[in-house]
Amino acid sequence: MTPRAPGHGISGLFRRPWWRVGWRNLGRNRRRTLFTASGLAIGYCTVVVMSGLGRGMVAEMVGNGTGILSGQLQIHGLEYLPERSVYETLGGKEGTDVAALVDRVAGDPSIAAAAARVYGGGLVSSGDATVAASLIGIDPRREPEVSSILGTVYEGTQLTEGSNQLLIGREMAIRLDVGPGDEVVLVAPAADGSLGNDLFRVSGMFSTGLTELDGAVALLPVDALQELIALPVERIHEIAARVADPWAAPDAAERANSWLISDLVEAKATAWTELQPEMVFYAGLFESMEWILLVIIFAMAVFGVANTMLTGTFERRREFALLLALGAGPGLILRSVLAEAIALGVVSLGAGALITAPLMFWWHEAPPDMSWLYGGYTMAGGLVRPVLRVEYPPEMLWMAAVALFVTAVLAAIYPALRSAHTPPADTLAGR
Amino acid sequence: MRAGREFPQGGRPGGLLRTARGARLLVLVAVPQLDVPQTPPVYAQEGPAEIVDRVDRLLRGESSRGLVAMRIVTEHWTRSMEMRIWSLGTDHALIRILSPQKEAGLSTLKAGNEIWNYLPRVDRTIKVPTSLMGAAWMGSHFTNDDLVKEHQLIEDYDVEIAFDGVRNGVEVWEFDLTPKAEAAVIWDRIVYLVRVADLMPVWARFYDERDDLIRTITWSEYRTMGGRLVPTLVTIEPADKPNERTAVQYVELEFDLDLEPAFFSLRTLRSRDR
Repeated sequence: MTPRAPGHGISGLFRRPWWRVGWRNLGRNRRRTLFTASGLAIGYCTVVVMSGLGRGMVAEMVGNGTGILSGQLQIHGLEYLPERSVYETLGGKEGTDVAALVDRVAGDPSIAAAAARVYGGGLVSSGDATVAASLIGIDPRREPEVSSILGTVYEGTQLTEGSNQLLIGREMAIRLDVGPGDEVVLVAPAADGSLGNDLFRVSGMFSTGLTELDGAVALLPVDALQELIALPVERIHEIAARVADPWAAPDAAERANSWLISDLVEAKATAWTELQPEMVFYAGLFESMEWILLVIIFAMAVFGVANTMLTGTFERRREFALLLALGAGPGLILRSVLAEAIALGVVSLGAGALITAPLMFWWHEAPPDMSWLYGGYTMAGGLVRPVLRVEYPPEMLWMAAVALFVTAVLAAIYPALRSAHTPPADTLAGR
Repeated sequence: MRAGREFPQGGRPGGLLRTARGARLLVLVAVPQLDVPQTPPVYAQEGPAEIVDRVDRLLRGESSRGLVAMRIVTEHWTRSMEMRIWSLGTDHALIRILSPQKEAGLSTLKAGNEIWNYLPRVDRTIKVPTSLMGAAWMGSHFTNDDLVKEHQLIEDYDVEIAFDGVRNGVEVWEFDLTPKAEAAVIWDRIVYLVRVADLMPVWARFYDERDDLIRTITWSEYRTMGGRLVPTLVTIEPADKPNERTAVQYVELEFDLDLEPAFFSLRTLRSRDR
């Protein structure tokens, strides 16, 4: 019976003798194949998981750094940054139609919500205790959709519009020795040069875990702060917006700036990437570390696989010699060893995917709480909670797969070349 | 808010007023004064440090009471205030705003190193935290620190005479003050111009560590008040804001009053009828 000639294409490729030899050779020493494939699979899993952990840390830093208070996009008067002068309001000294501008900002498809804010600096005093505070006027209705700080109120109630109430951080409450319902005095330099002062009642306390917020920020209704610092209602300092995907914020800012210019509004939209460049730096650092990790792990693997392949091909040198003596060309030997390496890559990738997928899914859905081991910490101004958060790294999934195949093939090149140049007569003679 | 996080309001949290650099508001609450008629300048034989110390002590005064008009000009607003001041040595001072009506009764008490403000609108007294000593006082270009500073200049600075001669027809001394190695001061250099004839200060220029001029205090309109020669106009001008200034004009002044330390109390601070 005449053997069928191999066809064309992938199916034909798999029917080629050198491919079939390479593939079947994996089963010749299954234990060795298992160990080698396990090494590559674990390397793949390590790269993907470590990359996911790094991205989880970056997501945590960016999410909290922009989400707790600042928002992913801010709109200010042209001269407001970086001095943050109380006089530099949106729309200049005349101010603006705040509600209309907020709605316009929130109309961008990538912006989930927007809210107006007013900033002031002042003193919060109770009894003999006085602390310097950054006073932030917020819209109690809209703010919860923009930032998460109101969600951290652990005692008392939320703010009510038009009332002399304020929310203070846990540390400020301790320093002032006040709680919900207690009266405090607020003193702040007003925009007309006078010294604004009034009595406020503590409605509640928040706890973000960030010292600079919990110890030095007081939130009050935007209209109450405007009255305290003698700013009319149409004068605000900022519109803060939440962009669901933080990395889409620069594009959203660009779109906002186009219509702000065309509508002749004296304002500028700025994304968090410009306001907090240190976070972008850290994110870039983590990204470059992913590549370093990828190179290190697979560089280590390539020597392990090469050693195994060398051993395997050395054991088969009589087989190669016989094939060569019977008229097979060195190319067939070379291809069959490389085919074995590729087949090993396929098996390793399958195994790697099988262990990586459920691990990543579980870790992503239920990140382990590590608060028993360490507390939250700040990185580039963003709070990182004590949880091992993992984010899916889509491009690293296939980049690591490519690296795995490259590793397998690189590791096989030298053994394949040696095998292809086996001296038939000497080898068969046992010399 | 970024860590290293920026605070709003000129970068200073809760500043009673805008941030400024400190020197001596004692010029406000304790007026430079000399008995008239003037005696010949016997102090001309003294060294630079002794002369500056003499001027410095003159600037501190003894007990005094006065009526002062303060005019503050900033880029964004201009306002005038009238206030009553009391002082006793270097430790005690009380300032009560009489006008404008919106702030009438608002008072500041200096007792030692502490500053208290009384807010009549809410009938509360608050203590200014030490972290805000560098903040401006009542929107002016003076700082809270100017109120409490009580070290003598020669304790913190070495003094050299930089010029001795006639300028604009007046014989003057120009002193160069540089901080002593162990002194905790904000100014890296102070240049002080004093009239030889009566030891009246003319101006003082304050420089930072890069030798940039930060602000200038000018004394002028020397008149006899309460039986003493005093500069009745004190102007402070920040160097980085050439269109801004705070001018303090003395309207009335009395010296050597029968004031007791007990007068400078929180009870007096809260009293509205003084």
